[in-house]
Amino acid sequence: MAEYLLIQSLNGLVIGVIYAVIAAGLTIIFSILKIVNFAHGEIYMMGGYFGYFVISMLGIPPIPAIFVAMALAFLLSVALERALLTPLYSPTTERKSDYGILVTFGISIFLRNIAIILFGPFPLRPPSFFSGALVVGDFVMTWDRVFAAGAGVALLGLLVLFLGRTSWGQALNAVSQSRESAAIVGINDRLAYTMAFGLGGAFAGAAGALVGPIYALTPSMGLQPDTQAFAIVVLGGMGSVGGSIIAGILIGVSESLFIALFPDPSRGLSYAQAFSLLVLMVVLLVRPTGLFGRTHTAME
Amino acid sequence: MRALRLACLAGLAAIALAFPHLVNAYWLTVGILAMFYAIIAASWTLLVGYAGQFSFGHMAFVSLGAYAAALLVQWLALPVPIGMLVGALLAMVVGAGVGFVCLRIRGPYLAIFTMAFSEVLRIVFLTENEITGGASGLNVAPLFTSRSNAPYYYVALGLLVVSLAVMAAMVHSRWGLFFRAIRENEQAAAAAGVKVVRFRILVFAVASGFAGLAGAFYGPFIGILTPDIGSVDQMGLVVAMAVIGGSESLVAAVIGALSVEALVEALRAYGQWRLVLFGLLLLLTMRFARNGLLALAWEQVRRLTPASWRTPHAREAAE
Repeated sequence: MAEYLLIQSLNGLVIGVIYAVIAAGLTIIFSILKIVNFAHGEIYMMGGYFGYFVISMLGIPPIPAIFVAMALAFLLSVALERALLTPLYSPTTERKSDYGILVTFGISIFLRNIAIILFGPFPLRPPSFFSGALVVGDFVMTWDRVFAAGAGVALLGLLVLFLGRTSWGQALNAVSQSRESAAIVGINDRLAYTMAFGLGGAFAGAAGALVGPIYALTPSMGLQPDTQAFAIVVLGGMGSVGGSIIAGILIGVSESLFIALFPDPSRGLSYAQAFSLLVLMVVLLVRPTGLFGRTHTAME
Repeated sequence: MRALRLACLAGLAAIALAFPHLVNAYWLTVGILAMFYAIIAASWTLLVGYAGQFSFGHMAFVSLGAYAAALLVQWLALPVPIGMLVGALLAMVVGAGVGFVCLRIRGPYLAIFTMAFSEVLRIVFLTENEITGGASGLNVAPLFTSRSNAPYYYVALGLLVVSLAVMAAMVHSRWGLFFRAIRENEQAAAAAGVKVVRFRILVFAVASGFAGLAGAFYGPFIGILTPDIGSVDQMGLVVAMAVIGGSESLVAAVIGALSVEALVEALRAYGQWRLVLFGLLLLLTMRFARNGLLALAWEQVRRLTPASWRTPHAREAAE
């Protein structure tokens, strides 16, 4: 039993890293644009499909395809931001938070349904990054999972370095704290919004491309990670990238253990989806600022 | 102007009452479904458009009302109308409960919380298939045994009129002002003496109650219930209806719901493209006409009518 739980925790760790990549994107968008992006799961889904079609139609090998998928998800997000989110920056827009909720919710409906038309409702599976599996004694994990976790950790590391060590990252941080003060010291806030939304989308897209070979791609695959990413971002504290990395791994592992320990296995699998949602609801009620919450959560 | 409005209302009432005799059975069913959605869109508008309590969990109350009514009729052999009433009341009580536990959260956090609540409920209905029938559905006893759907139509019309009347009375009273004050700024409203806690719970209870009532009607009409009724896609459809019509007015939301449901059926040949279209319409409406397409159209009509037709009050408002 202990061994089974260990294997489940390791599987959960892999999923947790992927959740963390999705949630890190969501939290960047939140900390800078001060909106909750309800279409984040759909950008993740689009990233998966971008990866699939780049491999199958352009013949790019799977690993470089991740970067192409990231770039395409970035461009898609930038286009959406330019077309639809600019009223958030205008002083004449009333109740900006409501606007952000409804517009991103509309984007999610639009993308999910156009994906059904463009890509079909049936699951698609891109080729593996590495075939075979890592076998240590009784422990078996496919190389795809190992690779996804490694790539996820690398991406998160790069993100933390980017935000902390580069002038770009510091500019984003400045805008997240105060848009006006950032503008006074010469930071182009409009560009920062576009970059943040694009960067957030690129991370969602990367996660989609990474999970493609593990789970198959479907147009509705974004629904579950979307709510899961909310759970992680809320647990980690809205706007804290470090917090969402820790919370992502925490949720991934505890979710796998929940499945393993639930008395009735078929129900356990079904209720696993509800697990993170319950965590989310409890955290919202008990500690709305999360574990590592920060202030500056409304658009000025 | 007043006479004109009364004449319009009388005309609408006549059309609404004669509708079952004017159309075939297919469009009658569409009309009933449109009114089901109209009740939901209007109650969502009360909650979101008037009181600013952002909820993506409204369909959860529809499915709660529907399942509760169906199961009560099945277990206790209650008459169907009593079951419907109890289902609606249960949705109302649970809605008040959700409103109570959510008192500390607002805006996007509330939207996330209600969405999570709705998904949890859907997963429970899906998983506990020994009770709810799961994905294969729960058979529901019908309300009428007649072959025509006309009786259902009049019940739906009655429910729509009653729920609209109750909600309109609420928003046109002092309560409506309280709701809008809470929407604009909760702290300022509280400082001005609005009982924020009481009214937030109240608006959740009322909106959820009507959603539950619509659900309790839907079950006996369709005859089978699946957890899909509470899905995010259904919520998306209702949001699109309310926003396209105009989410800051009950009437506009109702007209939005009726026209979107009519479009859903008229464009049936286009299948999945319809939801793409509604998503796009929702985005364009939010981006360019936030008060909804109906307010936009009304504005154009007003601009075209000569000034002498308008009452002094309307002229003032237009200026």
